[in-house]
Amino acid sequence: MRPAALATLLVLALASLQAQTPAVKAAATGATKTPWGDPDLQGTWSNQTLTPLERPAQFKDKSVLTEAEAAAYEKQLVAAGDVDNRTPGTVQDVNLAYNQVWWDRGNKIVADRRTSLIVEPPDGRIPPLTPAAQKRREEDRKASDNEKSAASWLDFDVYSRCIIRSALPRLSTGYNNNYEIVQSPGYVAIMQEQMHETRLIPLGNQPHLTSTVRQWLGDSRGHWDVNTLVVETTNFTDEARGSTFQYATKNMTLVERFTRTSDRTIDYQFTVSDPDTWTRPWTVKMPWNRIDGLIYEYACHEGNLGLEHMLSAARAAETKSK
Amino acid sequence: MGRAAIAALFLAMTVIGINGQGNAVGQNAAAREPRIAGHPNFNGLWQAVTEANWDILAHGARPGPPQFGALFSEPAGVGIVEGNEIPYQPWAAEKQKENFKNRWTADPEAKCYMPGVPRATYMPLPFQIIQGDKQILIAYPFASASRIIHMSDVGESPADAWMGWSRAKWEGDTLVVNVTNQIEDTWFDRAGNFHSEQLNVVERYTPASENVIQYEATMTDPKVFTRPWKISLPLYRRLEKNAQFLDFKCVPFSEELIYGHLRKK
Amino acid sequence: MKLTHIAAIAALVLGMTAPAARAHHSFSAEFDVNKPIKLQGTVKRVQWINPHTWIWIDVKKPDGTTEEWGVEAGTPNTLFRLGLTREALPVGTEIVVSGYEARDGAKRANGRDMTFPDGRKLLMGSSVGNDAQSK
Repeated sequence: MRPAALATLLVLALASLQAQTPAVKAAATGATKTPWGDPDLQGTWSNQTLTPLERPAQFKDKSVLTEAEAAAYEKQLVAAGDVDNRTPGTVQDVNLAYNQVWWDRGNKIVADRRTSLIVEPPDGRIPPLTPAAQKRREEDRKASDNEKSAASWLDFDVYSRCIIRSALPRLSTGYNNNYEIVQSPGYVAIMQEQMHETRLIPLGNQPHLTSTVRQWLGDSRGHWDVNTLVVETTNFTDEARGSTFQYATKNMTLVERFTRTSDRTIDYQFTVSDPDTWTRPWTVKMPWNRIDGLIYEYACHEGNLGLEHMLSAARAAETKSK
Repeated sequence: MGRAAIAALFLAMTVIGINGQGNAVGQNAAAREPRIAGHPNFNGLWQAVTEANWDILAHGARPGPPQFGALFSEPAGVGIVEGNEIPYQPWAAEKQKENFKNRWTADPEAKCYMPGVPRATYMPLPFQIIQGDKQILIAYPFASASRIIHMSDVGESPADAWMGWSRAKWEGDTLVVNVTNQIEDTWFDRAGNFHSEQLNVVERYTPASENVIQYEATMTDPKVFTRPWKISLPLYRRLEKNAQFLDFKCVPFSEELIYGHLRKK
Repeated sequence: MKLTHIAAIAALVLGMTAPAARAHHSFSAEFDVNKPIKLQGTVKRVQWINPHTWIWIDVKKPDGTTEEWGVEAGTPNTLFRLGLTREALPVGTEIVVSGYEARDGAKRANGRDMTFPDGRKLLMGSSVGNDAQSK
């Protein structure tokens, strides 16, 4: 082959390769776009849902409820979650803390009426833990039970210490399940109401941070797969109680997929993999619904009287028992 | 290699260059577009190069905590305050002196509290501006402070916050941010310069060149100062190829200082 | 609806537990389950702060003197989204608090149940439900 022909072929090959790049593909679809051509995920969102992470045992192999079943289930969940109906004088009563008005758990299960947020494996359950992960879970439970006699702040988890709300990926919790997404050319930023931090996701193919640099929310890299934002996060840390997701190791890999499916909904899916923790990767699918309210600063450490009071309670108990 | 081949290879490189815009290189280039949604493009990782976090007024070099020798000693600085004077009311001038004396433990920075505005701007860490077509978000590494700059009418803040309540508008090419509702407990620097909950800060971000933003902030606080006063300083773009916003979650670094007295003996 | 359907649904929801959610920290490590307390007093100041709102009340003792008690509640952000502001609980309001006393012996309690003296629940004035925001 003559050099010119070779070069021409090279041009064609490269051009076709480049045509496969996500940005180019995204531009070919009709979804809402930012002025610079990226799919638009911007706005204020909530991942609040009543649907449990794992399929409850009573549903057996039923993955989707009928409308009537879903309505009854929702009603039941709302009633069960109403902390104003609780039994006085129990430890659980103390831990439920304050009345219902302060909580914001939601009153809906996911719109597709699934019995679990987990879609893979198909049984809707977290895959079996490895023996090492079972041990980590056991240790965490013991530590949780021992908080009343905590020797220092190190005996509490990342949430009580106000370091992070929880490791990524984020699931729906009791309140402030809100996120604001702002995009700029080359970046997607996700501001998490709890705890007022921003996940900065550079788009493109820069390599991850070197493995010696560990971060509480890991290190994220994103790219567009047509209209879906795909984010891969690594470099997690295990330096404190609760700093990894669901007893995983710091070597867990998280892949998240954000797809805008309507004006008011983002389909959010994540897959977590960590052979040292689970016997197989597993995947969750849950909606992020638009909220009409704003996000407010959830300062935590600055007003963390709770941690101070728990420690002073532990010291007071020692003085009493002397 | 013939002339045609060279031309073709050149073309090949051009194709990569153009289509590469869908990838990292192109996105960095896009981030440097001079305007975004019609306004100056402030996207990027920025940092103040100043000694102001030690003291926003002009100051000579000073020793740090003695146990660390010359480490953590304070570099001299020419200051960022216009006229080099903070117009304290007499009681407030006394209070600042007291703060200065106790600064190693009383500075909210020591406790890893969110730094407030404008201090977050000139702490010695880079911060990232995410400027979309609707909202602007500023992420600061220290204490994971983040601030949404509301570009639409969101009304008054329901309560005070460590990073305040930011509402902005464009005046020509200048982004003018009105910051209200800050908590009284933040300081302007490690020298104990302070304010009350009545502080109002008006920030002005003006493009000076592709890699420089001219930053100004005017402070008004009738409870502490006798008149408004102003700081100004340039913000520089971090230009390293691998520049990246990194976590600075300092809570674990502050716990011994805050809770140490409650540790089991 | 046929009876069999109702039975099937009843079977489905049987054995269900409340969704897992916890407050920011363990309240049972801070407050004593064996020391339930009921306080009636007037609001002295409210700290609308995170992670927990603190309501400080003056409680009149039988001997006529007053004692200041701190009552720990939830995140204020939820209330802000319901349209409430810090004016929602003005100084001087008379309230009744049922909760548990602090384990460290300080004059603090959790606001397990907070009402006005006539039994109306506190901070429930808004007609907006907790879920109005997520449609």
